Amino acid sequence: MNDNVLIHVEGLKKYYLGGKVKALDGVDCDIRKGEVLVVIGPSGSGKSTFLRSLNLLEIPTGGKIIFDGKDVTDPKANINLHRRKMGMVFQHFNLFPNMTILKNMTIAPVQLLKKSKAEAEKKAMELLSRVGLADRAGSYPSQLSGGQKQRVAIVRALCMEPEVMLFDEPTSALDPEMVGEVLDVMKELAHVGMTMAVVTHEMGFAKEVATRVIFMDGGKILEEGKPSEIFENPQNPRTQDFLSKVIV
Amino acid sequence: MKETLAKLGEKFMLCFVDGGYWKWLVEGFKNSLIITFFAILIGFAFGILLAMIRSSYDKNEETLKLHGGLGYWVLKFLNALSKIYITVIRGVPVVVQLMIWYFVILVSQDNGVIVAIVAFGFNSAAYVAEIFRGGIMSVDEGQFEAGRSLGFGYVRTMINIVIPQAVKTVLPTLLNEVIALLKETSVAGYVGIMDLTKAGDLIRGRTFEAFMPLIAVAIVYLLTVVILTAVFTAVERRLRKNER
Amino acid sequence: MKKVLALVLAALMVFSLVACSGSGKDETSAPDTSAPEEKATLVMATNAAFPPYEFKEGDSFAGIDVEIAGKIAEKLGMTLEIKDVEFGSIVGGVQTGKFDMGMAGMTVTDERLKSVNFSDSYATGIQVVIVKEDSAIKSLDDLKGDGSMKFGVQQDTTGDIYASDTVENGGYGKDNVVRYKTGADAVQALKTGKVDAVIIDNEPAKSFVSANEGLSILDGSWVEENYAIAIAKENTELLEKVNNALKELTADGTVKSIIDKYIPAE
Repeated sequence: MNDNVLIHVEGLKKYYLGGKVKALDGVDCDIRKGEVLVVIGPSGSGKSTFLRSLNLLEIPTGGKIIFDGKDVTDPKANINLHRRKMGMVFQHFNLFPNMTILKNMTIAPVQLLKKSKAEAEKKAMELLSRVGLADRAGSYPSQLSGGQKQRVAIVRALCMEPEVMLFDEPTSALDPEMVGEVLDVMKELAHVGMTMAVVTHEMGFAKEVATRVIFMDGGKILEEGKPSEIFENPQNPRTQDFLSKVIV
Repeated sequence: MKETLAKLGEKFMLCFVDGGYWKWLVEGFKNSLIITFFAILIGFAFGILLAMIRSSYDKNEETLKLHGGLGYWVLKFLNALSKIYITVIRGVPVVVQLMIWYFVILVSQDNGVIVAIVAFGFNSAAYVAEIFRGGIMSVDEGQFEAGRSLGFGYVRTMINIVIPQAVKTVLPTLLNEVIALLKETSVAGYVGIMDLTKAGDLIRGRTFEAFMPLIAVAIVYLLTVVILTAVFTAVERRLRKNER
Repeated sequence: MKKVLALVLAALMVFSLVACSGSGKDETSAPDTSAPEEKATLVMATNAAFPPYEFKEGDSFAGIDVEIAGKIAEKLGMTLEIKDVEFGSIVGGVQTGKFDMGMAGMTVTDERLKSVNFSDSYATGIQVVIVKEDSAIKSLDDLKGDGSMKFGVQQDTTGDIYASDTVENGGYGKDNVVRYKTGADAVQALKTGKVDAVIIDNEPAKSFVSANEGLSILDGSWVEENYAIAIAKENTELLEKVNNALKELTADGTVKSIIDKYIPAE
């Protein structure tokens, strides 16, 4: 196994109803340090399930996920420790509505990384400034727009200093005019070398930022390659079909 | 009218002042409050525990089956136990439970107030458990996932993220439970405790006046509930303000 | 807070108005029932859980009070109607005219006399004390109201009222008395050690002791009391009639034979 591989996925399966529904049907994939992997595919293709399996929000029915040299699907593995190192951004932001933005960002570092409150808040404020939201630290999530919420969700995950960031359709729930501000933050993150796995319908983002694109359908990876290869010269007929239907 | 007032005054003196019976009311009210307060503590603590067991099982059944091993069986067992507990408690009138605690289980405990606290507390727990389970299940699954994805374990996610939000949704229902509990303690007299109702009863039995003692007791309960409601409403408003 | 107070006051006023109008009506209707013409009914209130004075037998009532009341009604040319109510509600009901008379092994007390009149006594009741056989309490003299022992009673009975009185007045202090809804509960509490002694009427005491092992009755009577019939103060006509009937029934031995029937020679 290559030194550069951060997450090694092998034969990953997720079955429902005793195997009648195969959300993931044998996925093999490596995510390397510093790369931006974008997963595309029609809805129901299993791309979100794949991403959510990486930090075990979905428990796989079979297969292995090696992260940092350890199999996280092993029942004995401490999944909480692995999750700290995998930041996750959700479609619906999932900020804690009863806490201020600052508290949203500091609760985990203070409690789990045993950082002092001051230290955690300093780091949170730094990150908030980077996404232009320092003035909203004392606000509650309900006082923010969708785009602002998602930017907070991203920096909340970053507060845990993760090794990889997982994005599960981060712009799908946003009004169109707010998509840009979130993608900008993600781009900046990619530029500073963060390892990212992104499930998205934003083909423009995939083309511009991805180092590698995966096309999934029916719980399987049907095609993968550089963005230029996938978008300009898809080989698989299903990829061709899918790309012909989305506005690129 | 003057005559009626004079008569009422006479009855008032007879019921509360002459025999020093107002002291009975005070003592009864004190006992009612003590029983209610400590029963709520037990009810909330044990009820939340039950709710956590029940909702943990509901939330994680599938996951644990695949992944869990022994943990799955332990939780399944605890869940079944909680379900039986809740069924039994909700199926048996509280006055019967109280007598069972008094005459059968806590035979050696001769402080009736303590027995009542235990009986009402464990009775209330069953109701609080279902209220909280509803509250926990009503918190968006995404909140739970966000907590887990940050690295919080199941229990810490519950305590830090889910339960504080659940509390807010269930607060009005919890107030109902507290009010119901306060009024349920009026059956404490069955095991010889002098609670507020019993105090009124005793005055009635001694003065043969129904009106004064009953109305006095009713007013004290009513005022207590009015005050409780005001307190809960204030707490609720504060919690809501936090979000706006 | 002011608003709350106003609300409460308003509620009080409504209640008192209702109460006043209620009692007014009762006063006027009370004498009607005692009219002997066309076989009027004589409504007797009792608490049918006090054998052998009154208890339920199938769907009807039996006991000393029930039979004596039957004889009185016969003398008065009335039909007896029995209402089974809580002991504590009897005097109040008689006072407001809800019932014509109350008869429930009831002792004449000063407090009760403030509310109702009583007929001549027709029977004597004895209150005794039950303890556990292995109890340190061996005689009535050992009973003390210093907080070292608890007394179980049935709520609102004379045992309750006397025992709850202050030590100076011959009681044990209200805090040392535990009041149960039934005599059986009090005895149950004695068995499980929650109280040290139970003060109760002699007759039920005997049946409790024979039914439960390890209990005994202290020698002597804790108090002796005269049972009488409660009748509304306004209804002097009925009181007079009842007293006359009782006099005749005592003279011809009817009362004694009824008592003997239920309480075999002691």
